[in-house]
Amino acid sequence: MNVKTRAEAVGTFRHVNVFLMETLAAWVPSTAEMEAKVLFGRHIWLVAQVADRLGRRARELRAPLHFSRLPSASYVKALDALAALTQTAPRLEGLYRTALPSLRGGYASYVAETDRLIDEPTVVVLEDAMREIDRMQSESIRLVEEFPALREGASSATGELRRRFAEATDMIDVRREPQSA
Amino acid sequence: MKQSEMDTKVVCGVTLRKDPARESCFKVVDTDAQMVAWPDMSPQSRRERLHRHMNNEITSLDIAAQCLADFPDAPWDLRMQLARQAWDESRHVTALHRRLKEIGGFKGEFPVANFEWTVTCILDSLVGRLTLQNRTFEAGAMDLMARLPGKWREAGDGETADLLDSIAADEIQHVRFANQWIRKLTSEDKRLLFKVAHAVRFLAEVNAAFAPAPGETNVVGQVIANAGQVAPINAADRELAEFSDEEIAEVLRQAGFPALVPRQEAQA
Repeated sequence: MNVKTRAEAVGTFRHVNVFLMETLAAWVPSTAEMEAKVLFGRHIWLVAQVADRLGRRARELRAPLHFSRLPSASYVKALDALAALTQTAPRLEGLYRTALPSLRGGYASYVAETDRLIDEPTVVVLEDAMREIDRMQSESIRLVEEFPALREGASSATGELRRRFAEATDMIDVRREPQSA
Repeated sequence: MKQSEMDTKVVCGVTLRKDPARESCFKVVDTDAQMVAWPDMSPQSRRERLHRHMNNEITSLDIAAQCLADFPDAPWDLRMQLARQAWDESRHVTALHRRLKEIGGFKGEFPVANFEWTVTCILDSLVGRLTLQNRTFEAGAMDLMARLPGKWREAGDGETADLLDSIAADEIQHVRFANQWIRKLTSEDKRLLFKVAHAVRFLAEVNAAFAPAPGETNVVGQVIANAGQVAPINAADRELAEFSDEEIAEVLRQAGFPALVPRQEAQA
């Protein structure tokens, strides 16, 4: 993996985190259940911090500060399907059991592939981000254990979303030209 | 987002943003006359105060989040501040809910109003929303919060007093970043000053429309406090929140405390 390839991956991860931040932000006022609203509100900050760190790392890889890059078309469609969810239970299921595991998988693949020594600044950010995903998932599990009603109808409503994420195997678009700060 | 694209409601003749989502256990109302409040520190009054504060923090979370969603082209560092605010307000909601339950209350026990959301989020500019929510409502709450911990401590509830003081410390940052960004954005684009002026004028119109009639009472027969009777200015926290000396002096003058204005300021 060369510097350009790393910058493209970092920019793509940043785009996904900004997208998740905006999705959570849009969900907060439209979520009625107080505890779920608060969970989304907490996690806005967690994904924002990852986006911020990735944006600064991009600059170290010769990309503009806070460089963002669209993922592959199939991954964009999967993200759009996530953002379109309107009910709380499918939102919880879609984000914490489908989208975040997919993103975690993308981080893990990158970390496995890159030179851990020379690209250690990126590895550190991504390993922290994976821990944050674990934390977000744990908090969501505790929430639905406390409020089982937040599971109702989730699986059937997120079938299409799971299919889209399963199809979006390549998050990073290798053909797209970078450069959209 | 333009106003024409928003879901709205009309209250007291004013068009406002429609309320954010609330659980069915909450009875959402529009005016102070429809609220429940007591002036004392009886057990039910304490629960109502915490319940009201909890919903106000939910509303602050809703507003910060909506600003992130509505203004994707805002400077990244400002968006980070809004994201951080969303986290802070989320923690405040949870902490207040925890304390509410500890003193025997529960969510939905009293009516709630989302006034700040309905007024702030009808504005179509981020600088306007920061002017109202952070620089006006949260700064006003900062003034109020300077006295509240003492009131709870006097009533024998040091735990709630400490919680409120912790929340007040967080709010300083929310007011400070708004002050910093309003200055920065308006210095870069003077036309944004019109948005600031519009926001201030709009709030004045809303306050006039919502002002209770003399002697008007709420649901439990208590006379509704005149909104003009503001809390004494918390000059120390306002200074931390980067209100300038001139701005603090102006607020003191408007609040009827000209004697507290430092001599130099008063002569200016």
